[in-house]
Amino acid sequence: MEHHHEHVHSHSVTIENPSYFEILEISVRELLVEKGLISADEHRRQIEVLDSRSPALGAKVVAHAWANADYKKRLLKNGSAACEELGITMYDNTKLIVAENTPETHNVIVCTLCSCYPRPILGLPPDWYKSKSYRARIVKDPRQVLSEFGLNVSSQRRIRVHDSNANMRYLVLPIRPNGTEGWDENALAKIVTRDTMIGVAEPKGQK
Amino acid sequence: MDTTPDITRLSTDLGGQPAPSPINLGEREMLPWEKRCHALLDILALHKIVNTEEKRRGISELGAGLISGTSYYEKWILSAARILMQKRILTPAEIAEKTSTVAERFLEK
Repeated sequence: MEHHHEHVHSHSVTIENPSYFEILEISVRELLVEKGLISADEHRRQIEVLDSRSPALGAKVVAHAWANADYKKRLLKNGSAACEELGITMYDNTKLIVAENTPETHNVIVCTLCSCYPRPILGLPPDWYKSKSYRARIVKDPRQVLSEFGLNVSSQRRIRVHDSNANMRYLVLPIRPNGTEGWDENALAKIVTRDTMIGVAEPKGQK
Repeated sequence: MDTTPDITRLSTDLGGQPAPSPINLGEREMLPWEKRCHALLDILALHKIVNTEEKRRGISELGAGLISGTSYYEKWILSAARILMQKRILTPAEIAEKTSTVAERFLEK
């Protein structure tokens, strides 16, 4: 299937050059709307949903688990249900599994087959997560790959790589850093970045 | 010529395969059409018209050439079109006609 780029210019304004794929997306969507299978409104609303999602939701979950030992237990037992408690819904029957980092074990997430990722709590995955290089190499040589992110995991610790799929998504629960005793949940959430919840970074305890 | 790998391994099954290093950590914003594409597939999944597994299968059916030769969301829309055609929800003729019409809109501006 070939694609071509059309370059069209009027006198006063440069017009965007839609690729074949952009044209295909518009076409497929409009055909489906015409057939009554989807609506333009719900599509527009879904774009807003995408825009609203960010790692802030995941950070809220982690901060709450750090602050509340009972919540942490529930989170580790049933990630999806624990997220629902905070008003976050997983979709498409996906299950969320939370992997807790410990002094013995460091966890990291991948989807080797495609790009499955806990989008409701982390937003959209970074380009590297979807790259051949990450997907191929993290399962085979995680210590080396993590060092490329600047994370050096001690050889005393085991690294556990979790391969996601359409029905099972993962969230890493990082170790709460020293120096955060007494912090409120907002302050805790601030140090929980997207990369710490994928497992390629660790949160830093400095305020 | 040993075709065993082609038969036993899907083009999308990358775990453990040779791949470039180090990882490129650069990130870019989604283009508007990519966001529309993502939202479209989400709606299709919500309505159980094309689910995540089907989308993934559609991508693996594109074959190694297209898989490595197209971007992430380009694969999504190709896959969606494939699956919709396989399910006879859309026909190739409809898609051809509509893409032609849509392309003309950009020319008309």
